Amino acid sequence: MVKVNHIEVIEGLYYTSDYMWIRIEDGKARMGVTDYAQKQMREIVFVELPSVDDTIELNEPFGTTESVKAISDLIAPLSGVIEEINEEVESRPELLNEDPYGEGWLVVINPTDLKKELEKLMNFEKAVEWYKEVVKEE
Amino acid sequence: MVQRGRQGRINLPRQIIIIGANAAGTEAAAAARKTDRTAEITLIEQRKRTAYSRCGLPFVLGGHIPSFNDLVVYPKSYYRMMKLNLRLETTMINLDTKAKTVAIQDKEKKQEILNYDSLIIATGASPFIPPIKGREKKGVYVLRTIEDGESIDQALKTARSAVVVGAGLIGIEAAVAFVERGITTSIVELLPYVLPVMLDEDMAKLVQKKLEEKGLKAILGRGVDEILGNEKVTGVSVASEEIPADLVVIATGVRSEVELAKKAGIMTGETRAIKTNMRMETNAKDVYAVGDCAESVSLITHRPLLSQLGTTAVRHGKAAGINAAGGYAIFSGSLGSAVSKMFDFEVGATGLTEFMAKRVGIETVVGRINAKTKASYYPGGLPIRIKLVVERETRHIIGGQIIGGEAVTQRINALSFAIQKQMTVHELAKADTCYAPPVNETWEPMVLAAETALRRLR
Repeated sequence: MVKVNHIEVIEGLYYTSDYMWIRIEDGKARMGVTDYAQKQMREIVFVELPSVDDTIELNEPFGTTESVKAISDLIAPLSGVIEEINEEVESRPELLNEDPYGEGWLVVINPTDLKKELEKLMNFEKAVEWYKEVVKEE
Repeated sequence: MVQRGRQGRINLPRQIIIIGANAAGTEAAAAARKTDRTAEITLIEQRKRTAYSRCGLPFVLGGHIPSFNDLVVYPKSYYRMMKLNLRLETTMINLDTKAKTVAIQDKEKKQEILNYDSLIIATGASPFIPPIKGREKKGVYVLRTIEDGESIDQALKTARSAVVVGAGLIGIEAAVAFVERGITTSIVELLPYVLPVMLDEDMAKLVQKKLEEKGLKAILGRGVDEILGNEKVTGVSVASEEIPADLVVIATGVRSEVELAKKAGIMTGETRAIKTNMRMETNAKDVYAVGDCAESVSLITHRPLLSQLGTTAVRHGKAAGINAAGGYAIFSGSLGSAVSKMFDFEVGATGLTEFMAKRVGIETVVGRINAKTKASYYPGGLPIRIKLVVERETRHIIGGQIIGGEAVTQRINALSFAIQKQMTVHELAKADTCYAPPVNETWEPMVLAAETALRRLR
């Protein structure tokens, strides 16, 4: 794990500029919101997730996170079918703040076009560079 | 997700324009986004910097907050995340409520006409500077914006003495900051006591005493005749006495910015601010007004009230934002609840003062108590003084003022809740409260204050 200013970035994950992280596990993709996103949102009070077997499409919203001050769409970083959702975060949305890369995971999908779509995502090294730019702007 | 579109043109996103991106405007934008996820929301802001806490400015000057930049509540990335279109250094130059358009102009003088489905006016207020001779001199400031704060901060670095004109909250907070920076400071107030909107004279005298103990000189019941000096200020003249000053801060209140709105036919009320209904709608269709440029209603007198507080601004903004985006929300009114910290003590008030109640024809009975913030035997308890204002016939609590070393804020909140729920002084005297020696007396001071008021009602 490295820290860019106060933002935590984890090795082995893929990232989007729309605040999502993706971990590939045996051809499935687990995803959640980044540490940067949860810090931007601050106290998250509501999470709206799709249901198991729903289809999500690349770059389309598939859910919502809402905090006291903000609301943000969850933008699909990959296309696929929902295999599993984290029901725990629906009742305890603060998990997104407390452990965004761990217990605060959101969904696991069965990706439909993983190889091609993965190329468009940032790997750890690229994400670190990208966050360095983000931090400069603030 | 609910997709809401423009009436009759359901495929087009709703266009929401907000004029002004400070407390009320940004709160409105956030509420609008939460209500309508597809609307196009544009904020027009005439200044370079936006969405910072004005209320924090005196506390940066006093050294309690490290930097002015710390006051920024919403960074640029917030607008990106919320998909809000923020246009800085851009002003509204015309409003046409029939055509539902606003004309705007950016810093390059480029003009543009924007259509709106909903418009929210959050143009705020500007400092009112009374026509004092010499007010144009170098070294005369107001404290409204972050830029004002930075200028004053700069001036304080070389200043040895200062005069603050106006002993309202902002004036006192600024004067306290100057004293904390080691500057010889006087505060001049035309009315006979400090904080004349918040407090009655008896409570204000206690504040004055505490301020003077810390070295702030208060000159009350007098106006400034002239600001002295050639190009640059050297002092002020008050009742033919000369007070030396390297800088002068004028804090005599603010006036709502309503000119363009008025020109467009939007009605203002007796407070000179824009009239709205409970949904914050003005008389023009789909036009809302919020914050320092909009009127509120007193929850006690039901008369128009100008409550230019940050708390009111965000409540206005939230209601208007929801309504402008097709939802439903109301702002029911204000008690003008306010609190501040000056040196090592806190001052708070809610509802009507005894003085204001009399002015609007309400007969009152008051209750007062001096107490401690901890059990009498517990080391470190601080004095706290409470005044309750009660309406004589209904026995409803209609006001409260508290001065104390600590624990003022949440008591003011409790009294505010009591007033909103139309609690009688008898009910307050019987209220269930909590106690432990390190944090309170067995008899809660508010309950004791209620008992003293009850005695006068017998």
